[in-house]
Amino acid sequence: MRIYGYLAKKVGDLTIKYSNFPESYVKKSYEQVYWKTPAGYPQYKKAQVARKKYRFTTNRPWTGQFRQQNEPGTLRKKVFLEPIRDWTFFRGDRVEVMVGKDKGKQGIVSQVIQERNWVIVEGLNTHLRVVGKDKNFPGITIQSEAPLLVTSDVKLVDPESLKATDVEWRYTEEGDKVRVSLASSRIIPIPKTAEETIDYKSKELYIDNIEKDTTADAATKITFAPKLRTFEMDIMEEMGIKEDRVPAKSYWY
Amino acid sequence: MSTRWYPIYQRGNPQLRVFLPNFWMKLVRPHPKQLPNIVHFHCSMEMTKYDIKNYLEKIYEVPVVDVRTKINMGKFKKDVVKGYVIKEDDVKVAFVTLPKTMTFKYPDLFEKSINEEEEHAKSLDESKKNFRKYIDHNKSRPDIPSWFSI
Amino acid sequence: MNTVIIKNIFRSTTTLCMRSQKSINTAAACIVKRDFHTTKPTQDLMEFFDAKKNWPETNIRVGRAWKLDELRLKSNTDLHKLWYVLLKERNMLYTMEHECNERVRLFPNPERIDKVEESMNNIESVIRERNIAYYKLETGETGERPVKDVINLIGMPEKYQPSEYDTPKFMNTRWVRPYLKHGFINSLAVKKFRRLYNEKIHSEVRKAHNRDFNHVQHLLKRFPNLDMDTLKAEYPNVDIEKAKRTKKSRGHFMPTY
Repeated sequence: MRIYGYLAKKVGDLTIKYSNFPESYVKKSYEQVYWKTPAGYPQYKKAQVARKKYRFTTNRPWTGQFRQQNEPGTLRKKVFLEPIRDWTFFRGDRVEVMVGKDKGKQGIVSQVIQERNWVIVEGLNTHLRVVGKDKNFPGITIQSEAPLLVTSDVKLVDPESLKATDVEWRYTEEGDKVRVSLASSRIIPIPKTAEETIDYKSKELYIDNIEKDTTADAATKITFAPKLRTFEMDIMEEMGIKEDRVPAKSYWY
Repeated sequence: MSTRWYPIYQRGNPQLRVFLPNFWMKLVRPHPKQLPNIVHFHCSMEMTKYDIKNYLEKIYEVPVVDVRTKINMGKFKKDVVKGYVIKEDDVKVAFVTLPKTMTFKYPDLFEKSINEEEEHAKSLDESKKNFRKYIDHNKSRPDIPSWFSI
Repeated sequence: MNTVIIKNIFRSTTTLCMRSQKSINTAAACIVKRDFHTTKPTQDLMEFFDAKKNWPETNIRVGRAWKLDELRLKSNTDLHKLWYVLLKERNMLYTMEHECNERVRLFPNPERIDKVEESMNNIESVIRERNIAYYKLETGETGERPVKDVINLIGMPEKYQPSEYDTPKFMNTRWVRPYLKHGFINSLAVKKFRRLYNEKIHSEVRKAHNRDFNHVQHLLKRFPNLDMDTLKAEYPNVDIEKAKRTKKSRGHFMPTY
C-alpha cells in the first residue's frame, strides 16, 4: 500500500550510481519541500508540504533544467510506466531498435533513464533541433537522439548471431548473476562503460583529489584490535584520563 | 550506551565527557563596523557560551577571551498561493572576542573568481559572429565547398 | 609511531578515493611524501575556510563517503580522530556555503556536505555497534536507551522512551502519571477525537487502495502483454483478477485468438 507516495523511491538506482552523489543529496536536489515540521521536537507530528508529482525526463533530477521543468504550479499529465522486475539495459550495451525510422539498426546505449524506462541509443532515433536562434542569428541545427522505451522499442543484441534477442537473468555455477540471451543461451556481459559516472569513465581512471581524499592504502589499512572496552573507555585510556569514581545508581522509568 | 545519550549527573559521579560532539559552527561575515578582534559565528542552537569557548579552544586551538550570544528569530512568511504560514529557523549568533593582540579580517573569497556566465555569453557571441561572417562570405558563391577559400 | 602516521594521513582528508588498483599505486607514493611532510597544519580561524586556491574554483571534485565496512577496520582512536577531521570539514563547508549564499554565488559541489554527514553517521553507527557488543557480553543488555510499547493516556499505542532518574519510581513524587491512578481518559472529547482520527487513517488507507486499483486498471489497459507476476509483486494489495474484469482495463486492442 502506498499511502505515502512521496516517500516511495522515485529515482532509479542506476541514476544514483551514475550521478556519483549520495542518495540523500539527489533526493534533496530534486524535491520541492515548501514546509516541514522542525526536526528534533517530539511534540510535532511529522508533516510536510511538498510537491508530490514530478515529471522525469531526459534531464537528470539534480540539474537546473529538471527544476525548471518542475516549477511550482506546473502540472503535467500522468505517465504510466510498465513495471519492470529486473532492469536489463546498461550504458554501453549493443541494442537493436525495433520501431521508428531506424528500425532494425543497431547502436550503443549512451544513457539510461530508469525513471521513465528509457534508454538513449547513440545516433539512432534522432531528430533535428535548432539551437541558439534569435532575431539576427539563424541558429545552429543539431541532431539529437530521442529516448526509446526498453519494454518495446529496443532489444539487446545476441553476441553470437548479432540479432535482437530477449534476455533473462540467471545464476552461474559460481553464483554470479548474469544476463543470458534466450536465442543462443550465451551470456551477455555487462559492459565496462556501465560503471561510468559524471566524474569518471571508470573507477581506475579516477584522479585523487590530493588534499581532500584519503588514499586507498590508508583507507584499507586495518588498525582495529578487539578489546573488552567500550569506545569511551578506550579513548580515555588512550588520552591518559584516569577515572576511578563509580556512577551512582540511576533508575529508568 | 548510544553516543547521543547524555547521562544524568549526580554528585560524586565521574565527570561527564562528550567524545563525539555534533555541534557545528560557521564563521560569518561581521557587521561593517566591528572591532578587529571580534569574530561572528552562527552555531548549533544547543551550544552554550562555555561550549563555544571550549569548542574553539580545544578543537581549533584559538584563544578566546569572551563569548556573547544571541538568538535571531526566524522570519514568518506566508505562502502567496495557499496562504499557510511558515517560520524560518532561528539562528544562534555568537560574538567571540579574541585577545587584544589578535586580529581577524574576514577574507574576500570571490576576489579572483571569474564570472562564468559572462565568459559563456562572450564565447557564444564570438561563435555567432564567426558563423555570420562565414555566411556573408559565401553568399555570392553557392555550390562551393567550405574549404575552398583563401 | 603508528598514531603519528595515522594523524598525518587523516590530517586533511575527508572523503575517500575510489578503491582501485591505480589509486593504490599512486597512493603509496603520496603516503611516503606525506609522512615526511611534518609542518603542523594551520591552527587558526582560517581553518573555517577552504584552502585559498579553491576559492575561485567552480568544481571541487572529491571522492565518496566512508563506508561502514571500511570504518569497521579502524581502531577507536582512529575513528575519534577522523570524527574531528570530518567535523572541521563540515564547519568549513557550512561557512563557505553561507558566504556563497550571502554573496549570491553558486556553492561548488554542495554534495560534499552530504558526503561528510554520511561518513559521520557511519562512524557513529560503527561505534554504537562496538559498544552494544561490549554491553551484551558484559551485562547481557544492549546498553541503549530503552524503548517501551505502551498505551498512552488517551488509549493509543505509543513508543515510550523512559528517562533516567536518580530516585526510584515509588519515591519520586514529582513523576506523575495520572492514568496510573485514575485509568485512561475516556471522556466524550477523547472518544470523538479517536473516532475522527481512526476515520482519517481509514480513509487514507482506502484512498491509497483505490488509487492503486485504478492505476493497475490503467496499466492493464495500456500494456496488454504485461507480466502479471511483476504487477503482482509491485501491487501486492490489488486484486488483479478483479481489475482485469473491469471496463476501465479494456483497451483498444484487437483480441488475440
